[in-house]
Amino acid sequence: MRLTFGMFIRHLHRYLGNEVECEDVLEDVYADIWENPDHLRDVENERHLLRTVYLYYMRKRLREVYRRMNRSLYLSQKDMQNLVAPELGLCELMSQAELKQILHRMLGKLKSRERKAIELWMQGMSNRAIANELKTTVGAVKMLEFRTVLKLRKMLKDYTDED
Amino acid sequence: MANVNREVQELLADYAAALRDGCLPAFLKSLTREEAGRIHESEEFWEATEVVRLMNSAGFGEGVVTPDVGLFISRVDAGIASRLKKGKASTRSRSRSRSHANL
Repeated sequence: MRLTFGMFIRHLHRYLGNEVECEDVLEDVYADIWENPDHLRDVENERHLLRTVYLYYMRKRLREVYRRMNRSLYLSQKDMQNLVAPELGLCELMSQAELKQILHRMLGKLKSRERKAIELWMQGMSNRAIANELKTTVGAVKMLEFRTVLKLRKMLKDYTDED
Repeated sequence: MANVNREVQELLADYAAALRDGCLPAFLKSLTREEAGRIHESEEFWEATEVVRLMNSAGFGEGVVTPDVGLFISRVDAGIASRLKKGKASTRSRSRSRSHANL
């Protein structure tokens, strides 16, 4: 458990962004694995392990996190699931180390203004602070981030397709 | 999140901020019916959320630390013990009801 803890909790953080919730979910994930470890029998490497654990154990638990809350929301159950516990995608194909490496490379391919907006966001700055830094409006920053994120997605998709 | 009629790019920015700050429920609650519909229909929004999760992970995932992994492990052990107890209790009650039925 000690060996996989860091890897699993960092992966859960992608979906929840909250350490306390990540720990609660992970607690159930480990208990589920203990109860039914069959899916992990043929795991070959770290990427395969992460993918299998996400698919068979984490997703189910992630879906339960906000299920009760969903009754009072306008978001449909399916959209909620897609937001909190999506299907296998780019996220599940990359380990943390791989992700950092690829993202770093992709950021290098962006225009300087786009790269700066994303880097400042990743440093924890608010959109208002980013707007001040780039000498523009908050609305323009949001649009710039949106377009850049879509650009990054295309690059990541091309990379994973090649891989 | 005071704006109640946000465009897709604004919704994505707010989702990203909520994810980064660990307050996703606040974002979910802030969605109006129109905004939820807008999200539902926007393929670009869903594509962008995938990258936002990766950015969040690359930027802040490393900082996720649990002060005491030993304590966490003991919580998992307790959870497993409680499941075992529940399992035993349910088999006992099942066998008891079966023996009552035989009487």
